[in-house]
Amino acid sequence: MWKDFIESQETKEGVRFSWNVWPSSRIEATRMVVPVAAAFTPLKKRDDLPPICYEPLKCTQSQCGAILNPLCQVDYRSKMWVCCFCFQRNPFPSSYASISEQSQPAELFPQYSTIEYTIMRQQNMPPVFLFVVDTCVDEEELSALKESITMSLTLMPANALVGLITFGRHVHVHVLANEVLRKQYVFPGHKDQTAKSVQEYLGVGLKATQTQMPGQAAPAPQPGQMNNRFLQPVQECEIMLVDILTDLRRDPWPVSSGKRPLRATGSALSIAVGLLEACYPNTGARIMTFLGGACSVGPGMVVDDDLRRPIRSHHDIEKDNCKYMKKAIKFYEALAKRSSDNGHIIDLYACALDQVGLHEMKYCSTYTGGHMVLGDSFQSSLFRTTFQRVFARDEKGNLEMAFNGTLEVKTSRELKIAGALGPCVSANEKGPNVAETEIGIGNTTKWKMCGLGPSTTVAIFFEVANQQGSDIPGTRGHVQFITRYQHASGQTRVRVTTVARNWADAQTGQQFISLGFDQEAAAVLMARLAVNRSETDQDGTDVLRWVDRMLIRLCQKFGDFTPNDPNSYRFHDTFTLYPQFMFHLRRSQFLQVFNNSPDETSFYRCMLNRETVTECLTMIQPVLCSYSFQGVEPVMLDTSSIQPDRILLLDTFFHVLIFLGETMAAWKREGYHEQEEYAVFKELLQSPVDDAQDILATRFPIPRYVETEQGGSQARFLLSKVNPSQTHNNALYGDGGAPVLTDDVSLQVFMEHLKKLAVTSNA
Amino acid sequence: SVTREGWNKGWGTQQLDLLQQRQILPPEGVVPPKPVLVQEYLPNCSPDIFRCTLTKVPETKSVLQKSRLPFGILIHPFKDLEHLPVVSCNTIVRCRSCRTYINPFVVFKGERRWECNLCFRVNDLPEEFQYDPVSRTYGDPSRRPEVKEATIEFIAPQEYMLRPPQPATYLWVLDVSRQAVDTGYLKIVCDTLLAQLDKIPGDRRTMIGFITFSNNVQFYLMGEDQKSVQILEVGEVSDMFVPNPEDLLVNLEQSRTLIEELLSKLPESQGGTVQTQSALGPALQAAYKLMSPIGGRITVMTTTLPSVGPGALQSREDPNQRAGSDVQNMGPATDFYKKLSLDCSGQQIAVDLFALNSQYVDMATLTGISKFSGGCIHHFPGFHVARNPPSVGPFTACLTRYVTRKIGFEAVMRIRATRGLAITNFHGNFFVRSTDLLSLPNINPDAGFGMQVNIEEPLHNIRERRIRVHTLCLPVTPNIHEVVTSGDQQAVIGLLAKMAVDRSLTSSLSDARDALVNACVDALTAFKMGLSSPAHGALEVCPNLSLLPLFTLALFKSIALRSGTSTKLDDRLYEMCELKSLPLRHLMTKLYPDLYAIHTLSDKGALNIDDQVIPQPGRLHLTAERLDRTGAYLMDAGSSIYIYVRSMVSSEWVEATLGVPSYAAIPQPLYDDALPVLDTSQSHLLHNFISHLQRGKPYPAPVLILKEDNPARMLFIQRLVDDRSEGCHSYVEFLQYLKKNVK
Ligand SMILES: [Zn+2]
Ligand SMILES: [Zn+2]
Repeated sequence: MWKDFIESQETKEGVRFSWNVWPSSRIEATRMVVPVAAAFTPLKKRDDLPPICYEPLKCTQSQCGAILNPLCQVDYRSKMWVCCFCFQRNPFPSSYASISEQSQPAELFPQYSTIEYTIMRQQNMPPVFLFVVDTCVDEEELSALKESITMSLTLMPANALVGLITFGRHVHVHVLANEVLRKQYVFPGHKDQTAKSVQEYLGVGLKATQTQMPGQAAPAPQPGQMNNRFLQPVQECEIMLVDILTDLRRDPWPVSSGKRPLRATGSALSIAVGLLEACYPNTGARIMTFLGGACSVGPGMVVDDDLRRPIRSHHDIEKDNCKYMKKAIKFYEALAKRSSDNGHIIDLYACALDQVGLHEMKYCSTYTGGHMVLGDSFQSSLFRTTFQRVFARDEKGNLEMAFNGTLEVKTSRELKIAGALGPCVSANEKGPNVAETEIGIGNTTKWKMCGLGPSTTVAIFFEVANQQGSDIPGTRGHVQFITRYQHASGQTRVRVTTVARNWADAQTGQQFISLGFDQEAAAVLMARLAVNRSETDQDGTDVLRWVDRMLIRLCQKFGDFTPNDPNSYRFHDTFTLYPQFMFHLRRSQFLQVFNNSPDETSFYRCMLNRETVTECLTMIQPVLCSYSFQGVEPVMLDTSSIQPDRILLLDTFFHVLIFLGETMAAWKREGYHEQEEYAVFKELLQSPVDDAQDILATRFPIPRYVETEQGGSQARFLLSKVNPSQTHNNALYGDGGAPVLTDDVSLQVFMEHLKKLAVTSNA
Repeated sequence: SVTREGWNKGWGTQQLDLLQQRQILPPEGVVPPKPVLVQEYLPNCSPDIFRCTLTKVPETKSVLQKSRLPFGILIHPFKDLEHLPVVSCNTIVRCRSCRTYINPFVVFKGERRWECNLCFRVNDLPEEFQYDPVSRTYGDPSRRPEVKEATIEFIAPQEYMLRPPQPATYLWVLDVSRQAVDTGYLKIVCDTLLAQLDKIPGDRRTMIGFITFSNNVQFYLMGEDQKSVQILEVGEVSDMFVPNPEDLLVNLEQSRTLIEELLSKLPESQGGTVQTQSALGPALQAAYKLMSPIGGRITVMTTTLPSVGPGALQSREDPNQRAGSDVQNMGPATDFYKKLSLDCSGQQIAVDLFALNSQYVDMATLTGISKFSGGCIHHFPGFHVARNPPSVGPFTACLTRYVTRKIGFEAVMRIRATRGLAITNFHGNFFVRSTDLLSLPNINPDAGFGMQVNIEEPLHNIRERRIRVHTLCLPVTPNIHEVVTSGDQQAVIGLLAKMAVDRSLTSSLSDARDALVNACVDALTAFKMGLSSPAHGALEVCPNLSLLPLFTLALFKSIALRSGTSTKLDDRLYEMCELKSLPLRHLMTKLYPDLYAIHTLSDKGALNIDDQVIPQPGRLHLTAERLDRTGAYLMDAGSSIYIYVRSMVSSEWVEATLGVPSYAAIPQPLYDDALPVLDTSQSHLLHNFISHLQRGKPYPAPVLILKEDNPARMLFIQRLVDDRSEGCHSYVEFLQYLKKNVK
């Protein structure tokens, strides 16, 4: 029953709560270890939403402002409605004069607890795409990149505005308006430009921006102010832009041997942000940054130009041995903040064999909801297809991207908002329902989400404020998510999702609470919390201890056992998978960073922080499927699943891997699949490939696709993920399968420990 | 008596009384005195190239002091010459002791040895020197061109080249502020360049580039594989940089299409500009950075006071003080331009300045950029295509000449003189590298210099490195009177003018003016002292110095040195530069223009050159007295020719010359192609005469016809220096003044 409810809530409202029954007091809530939280997908694809072309009706209580929804009580005779959050009685405005029980407005239909309004009085804005292109790359890389950018012009709506900034040692802003001579404005790469100097040199900007308070976005520009020489409708400047791209050469400054090229990424981004800030504040815009290497000059440099000094590793970070890192992080974070204040997205498309500084630049992407893509080469299909997919369109032909969003959360009085984790920044909206403790980005009831798509999922953490002993009026608590955004069509839309959950009875509640546990959602929410802790604490081992402690306490709270008897321990049904998720989370690249570069870690964490629960779960505990003559079946992520007569398909979200067991690989080498009588084998070989293609076809960014076999060098991707039930330490006692060379504890050992600690009262 | 006159003339002791002799201007023009050498047959250097203020050199310092004449040399080293012997040889023969080049004044000691005429060392002659390239025979070394010509050019053998010659490289730095674009100059520059691209001196390696500036600085990317020209604009003027390492200076041949595209589109592309600032300083910094690896010529065109970035200036002129006697702010406001100029010189870059300003631009400071880098300076005040049409012709003509004239790169000029002579001062635009060596990143045929003594001038033309040698030989005398009467008055005035400019800048204008008059008084006094029986109540002078007072007065009234007449500071400073660097001949025309009556042109006494009859009207004094009401007059003021038509001129002449029936029908203004070519003898004569005058100029001067009743007649009237003018003597009054002071 709960499983169906959870599923329907996700499909219908885009919401998954860690707890679907809420504890009725603060004390009780803290004892539950996993906080009350929701993974919310604001723009969850809904094909059944009616087109509503009027404004949502707001509660008139000054601090509430919640929107009329099916959970509100309505008095049709007196034409009044009661707000389900603050219980204010609101009169319906005259436009609702004709409503009756028989003739209800759509927002009162129970099936429209999620509803979307189109705000007609807002000016329709075309999306803005500003390319920021690194030219310190090989000719082949540059021409592949130019090809991708040129291709993207055909994928944009014709009225989209485009701009081009290229950079190497210096930053070039290209004029795309049709003028007598082609023109670029050149800024020195070593210098950070203020918003003012960018505006001055480029001759752009609204007068209004000068009187603007810092950090506050200016009003959206009027259509008359829209024309500027750097951002032009793609239908008008496409030919010129293609010409410019054709003429574009790699950065011409000579690079002596032993040196890196001077690459002014920071300056370029700063100018891009400044340009959009001046021209299109508070309007949907996307800065698409293409990086072929690390910033090596000027603001935001992460490495100097001496090749003898490699770019920082996790070890350097741990030893606090990074000359440029902190300053660079500060720079990019401030830039990301500016960009998000203006509602603009920054995408980072990094394609290089070495790191490019995503670790320092990540805020550009995470604060603005911009894409982060990590590849080896602009020539790779990984990049090309991924970039093409940025411009994917929905059934109605609109780009599947939304701009300049805000997410506002309304809650019942007893539920406070502790914070959010996701691709967003605080919109600094204080209110009575801001919680005392901050989790993630807190102290606000509203967040800016400059860029969001159908799968963008933000975690909202709550706090139960009710003191023990005091009654909660009513049996249900409410949460309303109000997402306001610029639709790809240019319309301003407001999506409202209102959900309710029961408060648990103070005396008999625990059983219901544990039944309402969504262990998948909880695992993802806890994973985001853990990553957030390690990002802010920097100390990995501490985070592992925290994860362990939380798990043990949860097991103590929600297990059946006889104290001090590990063998007596029994999990509740809704908790059985949770320890396993935590086991894999502990071993994952999210918390075990030393096998990856800081850039990779940033990339992985960025994705964990924005994907849906299902996808995040795949990242934490990859999915393994077995293909054999016995059929296709999901198998344990365990060494024992590696068998000679199996083909395995591993999906880690970031990698999709096909692994041929020893026998399978041998047969393939013999070429059996090419013989007619072994058509079945051929089909068997093809089957996981087809399934892998299905995954590749929908995922963003495109995963790395690997085909390997027992003993293959790429098999390490699989071996590092599976539970080491058989290692070289215990292989003697194994029952087949392939031993894994690791000193990690196996899941079995882990569970034994867990039980032991859970039953020990003083843990 | 006739006999005595003949005697005196023969000995150079002829004298005349200026107070009596009102017509002292020789109608045929001033003929430079020729140094009289014992070996009369030896070829001496042409006075057009090399002039000494004294044609007899005083033997001692004391003789010189007593002669009270300035002693110096004026040289026009790279003058366009119709006949210039060029020698290519394995070794250039030079004195082993003082490094003097072998010249016509050496003495051969037999067939194998020669004695240096400067240090008297006896040197060996190389085998090669026995060969006469003209007759292709061996024998007498005195047949060699090196000893037959006082001016000769060597194509340098390998030993003279530190590095292979650099390609001819031209960088244009153009003002594109709104004021600049408004004047219409940009289109003229672009059109002129476009028309003359084939005539720019250089070979297949010639490079060209463009920088423009207003509030910011623009560069033009013209890589040969580009589809079209691209502008790179840099706004960061406080910390200027070159935005691209290549394709900003491009090969003229390979990037020809893009260069043509740029020149045809540039004026239009700047058409709508609203920027009013001038980042000249940063533009120059960028130009220097761009050029320093190669060296070459930077041409700067500006219309406004630099106002942003390094080198920004403030207006220092008080318009109410333009007529004051005490002129302030004639020195530079900052050493930015001088420093940059020296940096340029160090990298073999010359910066040429064209100022086309209507408002103050601070020429006193700006000219620094050219002075020390060996550049040239041009000034077109009030230039505007629509508002000041007469300004277009001179600019266009000057620019065309500028673009196409010869140019030498990486030049040095060395002066070698007989021992005992020292150089005390240099005048002109260059950097003095050592006591006898001037650094000239560029040298052009229109540049003149002033200094002392013997000269040698190595320079390389476009492809080869070349050395041009001029040798002047002068007799020596111990006699003061001989020295005085050997004075070359034009050269004296030329040198005095340069000294007066220096004096104005180091001391004050009034000091300089006083010194000038004193120099004239001194010269006349020195002459009088040499007379055995000076006539009472006369102002006596030898013929060689008879024009000295007149020319002194003209100099006194020149824009550079005048006082009491409203004079813009920039105009004054520019004229000062002209006094310092014009070749003597052009300087004299500027100071004392040639005036001719042209209503009476005839073939009497005319020259006949290439079957053309060129009338030779006599020169007239610059005074209204000589202007008949029925006449028409031509004034050749160097860079402009004025035709002044008086109201009673005969209709026949008007019809035959101007093609209209009467004076009243002469259209005004007449600035473009004023003078019709008519099939009348008057018209032919006038045209032949004007063409003849034009041939003597670096570039044709525009001809402006001014009717007596046209307010623009002041262009003509103000040059009548013999007449009394606002706050200044007439010639007669000046003579009276001199008489009073000559003791
Ligand atoms: Zn309310
Ligand atoms: Zn010698």
